[in-house]
Amino acid sequence: MIKKLTLYIVLTMMVFGVGQAFAEEVKGTAEKPFVEITSYHKDTDVSKVGINDNLWSGVASYRQPLEKQYLVVPKPVEVGVKELVVQSINDGKYIAFRLVWKDATENSSIKVTGFSDAAAIEFPVKTDPLPQYIMGQTDMPVHILYWRAWRSKDTKDGFQTIDTAYPNLTSDMYTFDYKVKGKGTEKTQEEKDMFIPGKAAVNPRSVPHKQIIEELNAEGPGTLKTKNVENTTGESHWSDGTWTLVIRRPLKVDDAVSAQLVVGKKTPIAFAVWEGERKESAGRKAVSPSWAEVLVQ
Amino acid sequence: MQMRKVYNWQLGRNASYVYPQNRPKKQWAMVFDLNKCIACQTCSLACKTTWTSGRGQEYMYWNNVETKPYGGYPTAWDMGILSKLGMQDWDGNKYAGRTLFEAAEKDEKILQHIAAEEDWAHPNIGEDEITGMVGKGDYITMPHKIWMFYLPRTCAHCTYPACLSACPRKAIYKRPEDGIVLVDQSRCRGYRECVRACPYKKPMFNAETRISEKCIGCYPKIEQGLMTQCITNCIGRIRLGGFVNTPDKAVKENPIDYLVHIRKLALPLYPQFGTEPNLFYIPPIHVPTTYLKQMFGPQAENAVKTYLEIRNDMTLKGLLVLFGSMERIISSFRVDGKTAAGFDEKGNEIVKVPVTEPTFIREFYDAKLQAYRHNTP
Ligand code: SF4
Ligand code: SF4
Ligand code: SF4
Repeated sequence: MIKKLTLYIVLTMMVFGVGQAFAEEVKGTAEKPFVEITSYHKDTDVSKVGINDNLWSGVASYRQPLEKQYLVVPKPVEVGVKELVVQSINDGKYIAFRLVWKDATENSSIKVTGFSDAAAIEFPVKTDPLPQYIMGQTDMPVHILYWRAWRSKDTKDGFQTIDTAYPNLTSDMYTFDYKVKGKGTEKTQEEKDMFIPGKAAVNPRSVPHKQIIEELNAEGPGTLKTKNVENTTGESHWSDGTWTLVIRRPLKVDDAVSAQLVVGKKTPIAFAVWEGERKESAGRKAVSPSWAEVLVQ
Repeated sequence: MQMRKVYNWQLGRNASYVYPQNRPKKQWAMVFDLNKCIACQTCSLACKTTWTSGRGQEYMYWNNVETKPYGGYPTAWDMGILSKLGMQDWDGNKYAGRTLFEAAEKDEKILQHIAAEEDWAHPNIGEDEITGMVGKGDYITMPHKIWMFYLPRTCAHCTYPACLSACPRKAIYKRPEDGIVLVDQSRCRGYRECVRACPYKKPMFNAETRISEKCIGCYPKIEQGLMTQCITNCIGRIRLGGFVNTPDKAVKENPIDYLVHIRKLALPLYPQFGTEPNLFYIPPIHVPTTYLKQMFGPQAENAVKTYLEIRNDMTLKGLLVLFGSMERIISSFRVDGKTAAGFDEKGNEIVKVPVTEPTFIREFYDAKLQAYRHNTP
């Protein structure tokens, strides 16, 4: 089935002559989900459920196979993470997902050539027609909940800086950011940030956030856009070669381009994982082989 | 993946690129005379103090100067990609080998060398190192038996930028008005596909902001008709900036066209990479031809010959004197009799300098001050 889907996409791209392999051109396909996940109803406040709360041990887990992203060049030759274990619960208002995967190395500290471990859950904003599951399509947006180990560490230990990444690094002086005090040296943070381009541009990657989960929309590969809402909370933990991540959000939110989950209904869902140690980032990632489904019980 | 065919005049043929051909209206370009660089690093510091003095930019040198053949920033950036590409051939002035786009591995856009963490940590590794031991009884020959030279480098604002083609979210763009290639600091998400893809290793990652940055071609200065910081601050006056045309549209009064197309004295760095870089070098005359040919293509030998004849060539001599003589960009130049002059787009004279500085010979003993003069200029 998956081979057929790949072939279909490749052929579509050839017909349209899409040199950059942008999937906007690719038509949606009603692929049968591989994994059917149930989000179990629990009489507990799911908005506050912890990563290692006892209740998770009584919740069924689903094995979600992952494979190399195959739609957009560059495509990875190999990926580090080949399986996710997914659990889900809800209380009628909030839904939580718990993802567990094997990753021998924790990559949560910034480095010049380092890449962060990361994971994402994706929903179609509308299901009819169903968008292409790798990043959606033009006018058929997807809603992505993206977690990054770097951002988790920022939230836990304070926003990582060059000084935390390279404690032995010395620099004589930063413009407007002086080591001495006195007349003419007092500058506001905004004035100092003028010399830090990403911060001056308020790039979402460059500034601290309250939540470890970034919410985004996409309408095809390369169109990812950070939403200006942070409705999703999360918690992550790495030990003994395993990442555990909990993502919680309201089933319903007041936003036209967010996923709305309904009790008693099935919603398509997709997953992606990046192994930082292998320099996985962007399209160099492991993805679920198609839309899976989650039944909100 | 499906590639487009674009015309690359530096290779004398059509070559593969990710996007269709789309030349800017004007193309910013620079010429560096490698015979004159003294590795004072004033250019590196001029750039640094202007643009990269912030947190996360500590080891970032948009302009760097390295000692060839062993030096490099990041370490061995050139050996890294050249050894991956392997030996390639030229057929006269036409490139018969594969470019980096043409040599891309399956499911990649371009052949890449990835610099390691420590490669970015030694911006001036190999400084002043020569190719080997000077033997007993060795004397100077041309080219030199044992040699080194300084190679100042910035982003080449390539016509077919590897960085731009690699960015999955089109956060890198080439300005139609001057061809300057920029990373949109709002749009970049720090994927570093550009850092991997650029063979010259000129996009750099800012770990503090978690996104990539690169030389901005001093665009705020270019917009005002001024040359870049690294040009105007160059102590050795080795640099000239301006706009380059394609060879079929070369204008002989345009100083860049004259050096690049008419006289073929200034050559692109590693044209075989296939990005059509717009940073041109006058090759160092004391370096063995094989090395120069690998670095600057098949025209390197003739460029050296032309350079050796400059003393008899009023026009070239005059033009070289204009290097570093003005802050404003000149769009045309003229050398007549004893002076070289540069003009703006409207033909107004911006600069006029003597081709040969007058020489004054002063007596060894200064009777008025009752002092002996030192032999310094
Ligand atoms: S300022 Fe000029 S002479 Fe000095 S290192 Fe830079 S290019 Fe060379
Ligand atoms: S030198 Fe590198 S960074 Fe600069 S335009 Fe060319 S490919 Fe891009
Ligand atoms: S052109 Fe400007 S930004 Fe680029 S290296 Fe030179 S001084 Fe730096």
